[in-house]
Amino acid sequence: MSAPGASGARQFWRRLRTQRAALVAAVVVALLVLVALAAPLLTAIEGQDPTTYHPSLVDSARGGVPIGSFGGVSAEHWLGVEPQTGRDLFARLVYGARVSLGVALAATVVQVVIGVVVGVAAALGNQWVDQLLSRITDVIVAMPLMIMSLALLAIVPSSFPRPVLVALVIGLIAWGNIAKIVRAQTLTLKELDYVSAARLSGWGSWRVARRELLPGIAAPVITYAALLVPTNITVEAALSFLGVGVKPPTPSWGQMLTAADVWYQAAPQYLLLPAGALFVTVLALTVLGDGVRTALDPRAASRLRVGTGRKREAKA
Amino acid sequence: MRQSSVIARRVAAASVSLVVAAGAAACGPEDNDAKSAGGDSTPHKGGTLTVLNSQPQQDFDPARLYTSGGGNVPSLVFRTLTTRNRENGEAGAKVVSDLATDTGRPNKDATVWTYTLKEGLKYEDGTAITSADIKYGIERSFAPELSGGAPYLRDWLVGAADYQGPYKDKRDTKGLSAIETPDARTIVFHLNKPEGEFPYLATQTQFAPVPKAKDTGTKYEEHPVSSGPYKVVSNDNDGERLVLERNTHWSASTDAERKAYPDRIDVRSGLDSSVINQRLSASQGADAAAVTTDTNLGPAELAKVTGDKDLAARVGTGHFGYTNYIAFNPTIKPFNNVKVRQAISYAVDRSSVVNAAGGSALAEPATTFLPNQKSFGYEPYDLFPAGEAGNAAKAKELLKEAGYANGLTVTLTHSNSKDFETSPEIATAVQDALKKAGITVKLQGLEENDYKDKIHSVRTEPGFFLAHWGADWPSGGPFLAPIFDGRQIVKDGANFNTGLLNDKSVNAEIDAINKLTDLDAAAKRWGALDKKIGEQALTVPLFHPVYKRLYGEAVKNVVISDWTGVLDISQVAVK
Amino acid sequence: MSGFGGFALRRLVGAVVTLFAISVIVYVVFYVTPGNVAQITCGPRCSPAQVQQVAEQLHLGDPLYVRYWHFLEGLVAGQDYSTGTSVQHCSAPCLGLSYQSDQQVTELILAKLPVSLSLVFGSMVLWLILGVGTGVLSAWRRGRLTERLLTGITLAGVATPVFVIGLVLMIVVCGQLQLLPFPQYVDFTDDPEQWAWNLLLPWLSLALIEAAAFARLTRAAMLETLAEDHIRTFRAYGVGERSVIGRHALRGAFAPVIALNANNFGSAVGGAVLTETLFGLPGIGQELVHAVNVVDLPVVVGMVLVIGFFVVVANVVADVLYAVADRRVVLA
Repeated sequence: MSAPGASGARQFWRRLRTQRAALVAAVVVALLVLVALAAPLLTAIEGQDPTTYHPSLVDSARGGVPIGSFGGVSAEHWLGVEPQTGRDLFARLVYGARVSLGVALAATVVQVVIGVVVGVAAALGNQWVDQLLSRITDVIVAMPLMIMSLALLAIVPSSFPRPVLVALVIGLIAWGNIAKIVRAQTLTLKELDYVSAARLSGWGSWRVARRELLPGIAAPVITYAALLVPTNITVEAALSFLGVGVKPPTPSWGQMLTAADVWYQAAPQYLLLPAGALFVTVLALTVLGDGVRTALDPRAASRLRVGTGRKREAKA
Repeated sequence: MRQSSVIARRVAAASVSLVVAAGAAACGPEDNDAKSAGGDSTPHKGGTLTVLNSQPQQDFDPARLYTSGGGNVPSLVFRTLTTRNRENGEAGAKVVSDLATDTGRPNKDATVWTYTLKEGLKYEDGTAITSADIKYGIERSFAPELSGGAPYLRDWLVGAADYQGPYKDKRDTKGLSAIETPDARTIVFHLNKPEGEFPYLATQTQFAPVPKAKDTGTKYEEHPVSSGPYKVVSNDNDGERLVLERNTHWSASTDAERKAYPDRIDVRSGLDSSVINQRLSASQGADAAAVTTDTNLGPAELAKVTGDKDLAARVGTGHFGYTNYIAFNPTIKPFNNVKVRQAISYAVDRSSVVNAAGGSALAEPATTFLPNQKSFGYEPYDLFPAGEAGNAAKAKELLKEAGYANGLTVTLTHSNSKDFETSPEIATAVQDALKKAGITVKLQGLEENDYKDKIHSVRTEPGFFLAHWGADWPSGGPFLAPIFDGRQIVKDGANFNTGLLNDKSVNAEIDAINKLTDLDAAAKRWGALDKKIGEQALTVPLFHPVYKRLYGEAVKNVVISDWTGVLDISQVAVK
Repeated sequence: MSGFGGFALRRLVGAVVTLFAISVIVYVVFYVTPGNVAQITCGPRCSPAQVQQVAEQLHLGDPLYVRYWHFLEGLVAGQDYSTGTSVQHCSAPCLGLSYQSDQQVTELILAKLPVSLSLVFGSMVLWLILGVGTGVLSAWRRGRLTERLLTGITLAGVATPVFVIGLVLMIVVCGQLQLLPFPQYVDFTDDPEQWAWNLLLPWLSLALIEAAAFARLTRAAMLETLAEDHIRTFRAYGVGERSVIGRHALRGAFAPVIALNANNFGSAVGGAVLTETLFGLPGIGQELVHAVNVVDLPVVVGMVLVIGFFVVVANVVADVLYAVADRRVVLA
């Protein structure tokens, strides 16, 4: 594809608009972000907050199951209350969206930035740079994510804001695959005529990277990133399951899922709400990611590959 | 005891699978569930009992096990000088003889204890059990290689403080001089101070005989030599799966406590607690003859079980001496002000704390530090009555007197484990309640190891944190002394006297009670001492746990004592 | 194939370097992890003197580089250790002894590895079938209801954490419908049939999570191939749709699927932590989480190295297969 300019952007929007599914997904994502941003407003309208206990709304003798049908749904508590504590589920869900989306997006940004920088540098640098960066990438890929997160999250003092920390840890540990993809894609692009032409005409590596390569790797990166967001949400959930996620009383979807899975029989809505929210988010992001990719580069829409750097190996 | 459950494990770490093992609170004075549940049909010998556990039996060396009363599975293999009475409820909190003919004969000031072994006691290989083997078993528990047990032997035996066990010092064949074995059936213990509760200590696995010729050091746990009704057939994956079969040299005529109905015991562990409860409730196949010794019903499961009569009939309810509380460090502002401590005591909402711990069926609000059981000398008191939901008005009043008329911001330290004891759920419940009294609580959640390091070190101890304490044996001694005896403050190691209380009158009373060999009389005075200490508001007792555990359909003869609070495997029948 | 020899040698050196780097990182990270290891190992009520003895016995007082050097020594030359009553030898490559259980880490790994490999291998078969199958179907039924349905199902897999899928599956399949026994690991050599039955649910739970990525990849690769000129030519010649899909388009998906698979297999050996924990499978992941909790450094290092080994090997295999497969695609 060509370098982005005013016409490129216009073209992109035109293409995106023609995809109904992607548009719907974009609206859903926008709504989710809006809900997350407007969480204090929404809960104010409901008249609740995510942390106040309502012991009278749960049946203490039965393990704290919510009193009333559908998990205690009422005019005051739109989606019912949490078992044991009686905290308002609607408030926890919308506040949870803030944390879950925030952590996942921030982690994705970290992963993409590191991944792109390392991947492009490895592809454009000399053989030593490539070897070094590729080995580092190998090390990162080969470290078990969960284990390292457990350790890292235990090391950092608890005064450090937890959501930021979780995002950083996920981001810093899981950028290996995106770096590989970017490196492979960059190596492919490097051989293409217009890039070679640009190099021949005396452009420096940095300029080539910025002007010619970045637009070229945008499609696979965006597609992969769209999948990373939901993955990161579930990683946050898994870390909560292992006891090192975002700290209470801050709600997150992952934390809700972790607490709720045993309630699947006694209070199903407690599990279904965060699970449903997560599912809608993942679905919307994935469809949107596909749409964006198609709009960016309809012909290379399926060029998503897991990079393995075969070109460089074959040549060397 | 150590603060963890009845099951001996060196590390009460925040295990991933401990979701349900929480527990909760309290024991009503009389609870008949256990009795009505299991005792209806006659038990018979035979069959295989399956034990589904979350924690692997990683330690199976009698030297390393840290148990209350000898443990549940370990007690099938290791007999000890004394043991716990295998009866329901209160009667089960009594100590009775096991290998010995009685619970011990003290000298006048309870500093010398003499035991005589029963006749005809044999190991699994048919050789005779001697008093020297018991001495050797205790000695090896001093080896650094086999650390893990309770601290009492080291603290109580004469000249034991620096002893390093029989491996290091091979020339000294006499071993610990505090223990004498004048003949093969007699063993005498010399203590450095009066200890009327020595018979309780003699229930721990360190008092199990170990034949020196069969000792393989750290490898002994793979196949310890059995003195009990079962022997180890296999121990896979470091206690992940333990298979026990009958020890044919054990004789019921020398053992009044263990019934040993099943032919085979199959202990499977490393299971997720929700899975254990699912399996026990489904009760299909081998799971019909299954029990668990370490996994409680969680609140979610309880909600389901209470709606189902068949399941509810298969729940054993028990009480273990255990208290969850808020601890203060009075050297840190503003907790140096007793009024602030009292204000917090008044402000606490025990009903929301109890709910967070699993509801009224799993937790009972606590206003005393001692567990509410007779054997502890429980004397009910409520010095700072908070009512069900906290007395915010009274708390505000006290804060005003303390000079915090405009409220107060404090940090509550808790662990990030999932035990529903010192975990975030409880901390947020406290946070929410104190808000009503104008106290803003910031939460500081620490990873399990970090949390333990911090709260048990005099140098790093926070001012305001969640803590818990459990009974090494059902008496006030091991419950109060480590926490409130000023001489047990440890400056350079693990300190449990977190209130840093060093009160001469308290110390003197502890010494006086330790002299008593009449355990009932001692219990009364422990109860009174508890109330006296309570006046200083160094802790805010929150709740005592109630253990509710499912067992399979074919399980009979369920016995749950107040000593352990869980079903005793030595009594269970599956036929 | 001297080129191949050079390639293999380079990869081997690379792998060893990677593993060394990992072991250093783990040593450093766990060195600064909070938790008084000697106190944890000794027990919470140990006196300061006892804790000191344990610390000496475990060489916890030594500086980091000395401890790491001992680790390397054990790896190359093995090490002797005392059980108290006798001296035992841990032969090279010795990864040391567990602080907690005094077991040799290599023995521990050998005991746990079959469980993890059983889980991941079986699951891999399922995720390939589910993922590639779904991918093919959705490429074939592109834009129709079938495709949307399949996309939705596979995404549900991505969106639901394994502990939720696994628990719900277990409650429904084992508890309510009683179609399968509650999983508990049976060794393959003891009873292959029971091995498979007991692992079915864990396999499925893990496969559902992984399948979506394969479905997307397969679909994308197939659509790309289908858009290529030679396929159009086949169609023009009247080659049936099934044949086009089956013989030609699928082949286009072969290389990327293989590469992704090798990649995921490696990371799944350690990444199955949650699955193992939930189903109570005594594998590497479960043991590792426990070891992290009790700061059992030798076990953590040993197990992370084993996981790293699988990832590195899997990546080499991926590269080789990719190269081979790609050539075939070109030939086709």
